[in-house]
Amino acid sequence: MVSKRELERYKRQILLFGEEGQERLKRSHIFIAGAGGLGSPIAIYLAVAGVGTITIVDMDAVDVSNLNRQILHTDRDVGKKKTVSAIEKLREYNADITINAIDTMITADNGHELVGRADGIVDAMDNFPVRYLLNRVALARKIPFFHGAIRGFHGQATTILPGKTPCLECIFKDAPPKEVFPVVGTTAGVIGTIQANEVIKYLTGHGDLLAGRLFIWDGLAATGEHLMIEKNPACPACGAMHNQTKGTER
Amino acid sequence: MKVKVRFFARFRELLGTDIILEPPAGTTFTTLVLEVTRKNREGHDAIFDETGAFREFVILMRNGKRVESADAGSLGVADGDEIAVFPPVAGG
Repeated sequence: MVSKRELERYKRQILLFGEEGQERLKRSHIFIAGAGGLGSPIAIYLAVAGVGTITIVDMDAVDVSNLNRQILHTDRDVGKKKTVSAIEKLREYNADITINAIDTMITADNGHELVGRADGIVDAMDNFPVRYLLNRVALARKIPFFHGAIRGFHGQATTILPGKTPCLECIFKDAPPKEVFPVVGTTAGVIGTIQANEVIKYLTGHGDLLAGRLFIWDGLAATGEHLMIEKNPACPACGAMHNQTKGTER
Repeated sequence: MKVKVRFFARFRELLGTDIILEPPAGTTFTTLVLEVTRKNREGHDAIFDETGAFREFVILMRNGKRVESADAGSLGVADGDEIAVFPPVAGG
């Protein structure tokens, strides 16, 4: 049940998706992989929207060079673990929700356990190997994977629905090369906010998801467009799943 | 024939976008993009490896349909085609 206080707190969005939508947000558990550039706006917006349980995982400490974009962390947090800094800020944003902040590296061994019974995984990582790993966890658990990535003034996002849309390995067979990527905070703001918006739409059942579409943001031109993406029947991650569900797809 | 080449993200910064070309018959996806990048070393090197093949992570599309880089060398382009060359990004 949505409490009297919550009715007031979320009044302006209950106008959009009703008490039922708010109740769905409250009952949901979202896993955010990363408390950096993307993880910051994602976690803040999901916390203030009233997502009932948020688990956020990161292994790093706050570095002064993070502060141009990682808006969960401030000057006084430099040197602190990002999980400690994140939980402090998120509790200030919304004390009515449950926040778990886990200081660890996401690996093939702990991925499933960390995600647990979460209703969705939000990708706020800075590398493809862990993204591929979490994509497989999402496929195995049949929960959505909200992908986002950034570089410079550019970003991309898509929502992966296991069995229905292409998965991360269908779209990106090969990872872009590893680098210290240039980035401006606003790019993380745009893409992270789009990812959080996808989560809210998915949980409340509103709008059209970025399912089967790769959204591409060009901050220099101030344009957004999308590429249609297709399943790879031979995908090593989800090919078998496609073949099983072939007869029932829309 | 007229063909449009669209670059995205960093490729767009290096090479521009929505480039209209009038290639001769028999031009393939790969030779078309090679032609566009011929006078731009940095743009060329961002897209192609030392052997002249598309870098593995680069996403290629023709009229909204994915093209495998292995097929791009033999895939002919046709009048009205729209070619997209997109570099995925990895940061977070």
